[in-house]
Amino acid sequence: MSTREIFDGRLQAALLLVPTVLVSVVFLYYPTARAFRTSFFKAGFGRAEEFVGLENYATLLTNSSYHSSVALSVLFAALVVAGVIVVSLYVTFLIHEVDSGQDWYLISVIWPYALPPAVAALVFLFVLHPTLGVLTGPIEAVGIDLDWFNDGPQAFVVVVLAAIWKQIGYNVIFMIAAMNNVPNALTETAEIDGVGRFRRLVSVYVPIMTPTLFFLVIINTIYAFFGTFAFVDLLTSGGPSNATNILIFDLYREAFSYFNFGVASTKSVVLFLVVAVLMVIQFRLTEEYSYYGA
Amino acid sequence: MTTITLRNLRKEFDDVVAVNGLDLTVRDGEFLVVVGPSGCGKSTTLRLLAGLETATDGEIRMDDRDVTHTEPKDRNVAMVFQNYALYPHMTGRRNITFGMNATDSFADEEIDRRVAEAAETLDITDLLDRKPQAMSGGERQRVALGRAIVRDPDAFLMDEPLSNLDAKLRIQMRAELTRLHAELGTTTVYVTHDQTEAMTLGERVVVMDDGRIQQVDPPQALYDFPTNRFVAEFIGDPAMNMIDVAVEDGVAVHDGFRIPLPSGKTVDGTDGEWLDGTEAEALADPDAGDRPTAVLGIRPEDLYPARDRPDLGETTFDATVEVTEPLGDSLLVHCSVGDATFKMGAEPRSSLEPGGTVSVTYDPARLHLFAPETGEAFYHSATAPAPAGRIDATTND
Repeated sequence: MSTREIFDGRLQAALLLVPTVLVSVVFLYYPTARAFRTSFFKAGFGRAEEFVGLENYATLLTNSSYHSSVALSVLFAALVVAGVIVVSLYVTFLIHEVDSGQDWYLISVIWPYALPPAVAALVFLFVLHPTLGVLTGPIEAVGIDLDWFNDGPQAFVVVVLAAIWKQIGYNVIFMIAAMNNVPNALTETAEIDGVGRFRRLVSVYVPIMTPTLFFLVIINTIYAFFGTFAFVDLLTSGGPSNATNILIFDLYREAFSYFNFGVASTKSVVLFLVVAVLMVIQFRLTEEYSYYGA
Repeated sequence: MTTITLRNLRKEFDDVVAVNGLDLTVRDGEFLVVVGPSGCGKSTTLRLLAGLETATDGEIRMDDRDVTHTEPKDRNVAMVFQNYALYPHMTGRRNITFGMNATDSFADEEIDRRVAEAAETLDITDLLDRKPQAMSGGERQRVALGRAIVRDPDAFLMDEPLSNLDAKLRIQMRAELTRLHAELGTTTVYVTHDQTEAMTLGERVVVMDDGRIQQVDPPQALYDFPTNRFVAEFIGDPAMNMIDVAVEDGVAVHDGFRIPLPSGKTVDGTDGEWLDGTEAEALADPDAGDRPTAVLGIRPEDLYPARDRPDLGETTFDATVEVTEPLGDSLLVHCSVGDATFKMGAEPRSSLEPGGTVSVTYDPARLHLFAPETGEAFYHSATAPAPAGRIDATTND
């Protein structure tokens, strides 16, 4: 049998593609190209664009506060990605091992993911507010002086925690699917052989789940760089004294507080490059260690 | 070296009874095969033995130990699964040693020595550094066996280990399993749905249906003296013919034939006593009235075209040939006589045409009678006791 003819002709196929292509071009490719172009200009509200060549890039190269923002973002992403993976894996394993009520545990874990980031950030604000927070009392009771409105490192930790918390649900959905895909007989063999639970997780499940984990590391990295804006904006606004001024927030401020569209575009190009380079490294590394089943 | 005893073992899943009051002793060093159709509870029984399922009721003992509620790891059994259950990301060697390494109860040199030994026994030395995806099905199952034997367990539990192999390899592995068992002498419980596998491998075979044990006997005894219709029809391929008859004056009477019942053996409570056909009649359902009083069982391989076996005597009957199926080494003939149909084995190149008539004879020492209602066997015409199993010790309690 010949391949199934879905379309009457090329014209029909092309017509069906038009909406997707149109949306992609108007809202994705054109702005990208435009941002790349703008990165070589001095631009702002109410004045003509002025071509400055690589000046914007030179500015960023010599700007030490921008350097620290890059470093901060990389550290932030590393902590968020590692935190999300480890916590999600642990939670997934607990749900996998529990005998009853699996669905309820799953729902309660996934729930934060169903919140818009802004709402999630507000929830976290109520939970950890330095004076009014629900958990503030218990935390201060163990001797930690919660003061993240003024304490930079504390603020950084709070934003990291919030970002991790929000992303756990998404990861658990994928991880529980991958973990349930591990053949039961492997679990049973391990049980009969006396392999402990932790060892079973680390030596049996995780290697088999590597393709999924690899995918999640990529998604989480993108999330950490691009999807955490709302947490910074609502919880700390980049402060105190730039302690949480990660790249995505920094470029937002550059564009919409200082209206330096040229520099902001340059920053977004740099952010794009940073993430792209990280992706390549991750692909290289994980490809090597991923197990793709027979 | 372990004796496994099951007492009134029961397992329910919600409202389904998977295993319904099992009493069974697996003798020390025995190769016991549990066979039955899908859903008969055989795999559940094995999983209960392994500790992967918890018994609803009853008791499992290994020698003097009550292991009914013991964790799988503390039972010192090894299980071989149908799908091999090899860790896909580990090499053959890692697969074999992973369990031993995990428990810390073996020294490294000891592990190395045992792996080398097992690899030698199973001829898998060159597979040790390969991952499962680079092995064939047979090779994977060998590695899985290797993993089971290195731990030197008290018992092997095998859950249809050959089912995923192709026919040729299955026959080869069957012989290897027999050899391996002879070499190691470890108590083995082997579950399968394949009656040929059960017959060829088992020193004794347990036939299960509907969560209950139907019969436990050496293979030949199962074949020769089935305790009920289920066993009679399950063991043997093609299945035993079952024809409704009346038993009158020591003769099985049907519209199309009269088959005299020679003196034989009853299995109904009076084990070992012999009775003649007339006595068999007494055991048949006396209140049957117009209904058939018994079901006559004859295996297709015990029926012959009369002209092929003149030595079997005068009693023949005519039947109509319906269909013929050439099997190569024999010809399977579907026949009808009166309202009954049956299958008969014939010489491979017999000239039997559908629609024709064939004169049929039978081996008088191979007749069975079953009660129509309960399906219990109450008469076997075999005049010799079942041959002892492959190992005498297993049949003489």
